[in-house]
Amino acid sequence: MHRQFARDYDSLTAIYEFAEEILAANEIGEAVRFPVHLAMEELFTNMVKYSPDTDSEIGVDIVVDGRAVTVTLTEDDVDEFDVTQAPDVDIGAPLAERTPGGLGLHLLQNIVDELEYDYHNRRSRVIFTKESG
Amino acid sequence: MFEIDYGDDGEVMCSGRLDASQCAKAQSFMDEIADTRTLDFSGLEYISSAGLGILLKTQKRLAESGAALKITNVNNHIYDVFRYSGFNAIFDIKAKE
Repeated sequence: MHRQFARDYDSLTAIYEFAEEILAANEIGEAVRFPVHLAMEELFTNMVKYSPDTDSEIGVDIVVDGRAVTVTLTEDDVDEFDVTQAPDVDIGAPLAERTPGGLGLHLLQNIVDELEYDYHNRRSRVIFTKESG
Repeated sequence: MFEIDYGDDGEVMCSGRLDASQCAKAQSFMDEIADTRTLDFSGLEYISSAGLGILLKTQKRLAESGAALKITNVNNHIYDVFRYSGFNAIFDIKAKE
């Protein structure tokens, strides 16, 4: 299923509800639903944050195939930002040296099973897959 | 929906979903905390990096005066998020029993 969302943090509830509708209908358990919601938010907010000069909507596609959930987020008229190449975060640093920057993409890389990025003609597309069990 | 308020014993009760759209509400509450305080996450279902950023910012501010946030009743999914983020080394965290 596909839906478009306004480029705004206030879209997060609608994105959550859209995903829940599909995941619940396919009897996807909480162990997969939580990381799927988290990955979707981290990618969506990353798109909103790092492309402030465009007001194009962000497309979200969700496909359930057996135990695997695949989500694609697409945005147009943006610069390239390869989320698979995000710099690593030192999660072992002491409190005084910790900063929140980069945690979202760090989490993303830890909670999904597959992560792909594609950029062509100013269209940015991120695809992730999460499998149960 | 995200809710945050003081409980009967002075702990901070958090519930709902702490995502990027709820950060202003969470941040304004956390900014008023000035001493060591326990956050009760028994009603919190979800947290993203936006919420982690608020916790981290508050912990760093409190550490300057020797105070700290403690977090209790954390569900398994949020506990995993803390673990992936290294927060289990910089916060006193207790999982939900």
